Amino acid sequence: MNLQSRKNALRYFFTKVVEPMGFKFTPDADLVEFVLEQEVALQSKHGSPFCPCQPLRNERARDMQMVCPCIAFHRRQFDLMKRCWCGLFVHQGVVDPALLPQSLPREVGLE
Amino acid sequence: MKKVTAYTLSTCPWCRKTKQFFAERQIPFTFIDYDLSDEATQQEILLEVDAAGATGFPVVRIDDEVIAGYQPERYALALGLSGGIQ
Repeated sequence: MNLQSRKNALRYFFTKVVEPMGFKFTPDADLVEFVLEQEVALQSKHGSPFCPCQPLRNERARDMQMVCPCIAFHRRQFDLMKRCWCGLFVHQGVVDPALLPQSLPREVGLE
Repeated sequence: MKKVTAYTLSTCPWCRKTKQFFAERQIPFTFIDYDLSDEATQQEILLEVDAAGATGFPVVRIDDEVIAGYQPERYALALGLSGGIQ
């Protein structure tokens, strides 16, 4: 399977998973293409499409919580941010993802 | 001049933006890609990431201030850049 086919497969699978959680792909098409490409590479190297913005720690239970889409494992934080950490997914009501912060103030207590 | 260190991943789009932020403004900085580092360096980076309470990368240290995530406004503030992030 070539790169584009693998990206399409991830896109199809991810859509089925994130939509019931109230998320969608970011409208930033360039970001989507870049992140999916990184995830295809991470899947080839590590066996799963890990988040390209979080560190693998060689702790299986913890690392598996970073397999994309990792929304379920960071639900409260991502709901407040209205996006996931890498920005591949945003809340369904988001029109302009550029207005969203990547992280929350520490006083929120979720980081 | 303040010392700027960015902890990053080679696969992370926000880490690329972070590097671009400092490079475009000709602000001297060093960066370490976690995924391309040896195990000992990775452990040191994880200490910084966890201390910052960050979910992921980038994590930027500007002198003693540690900033989790791509936050150009906070980088500018920490560096005392006049005109903010313009």
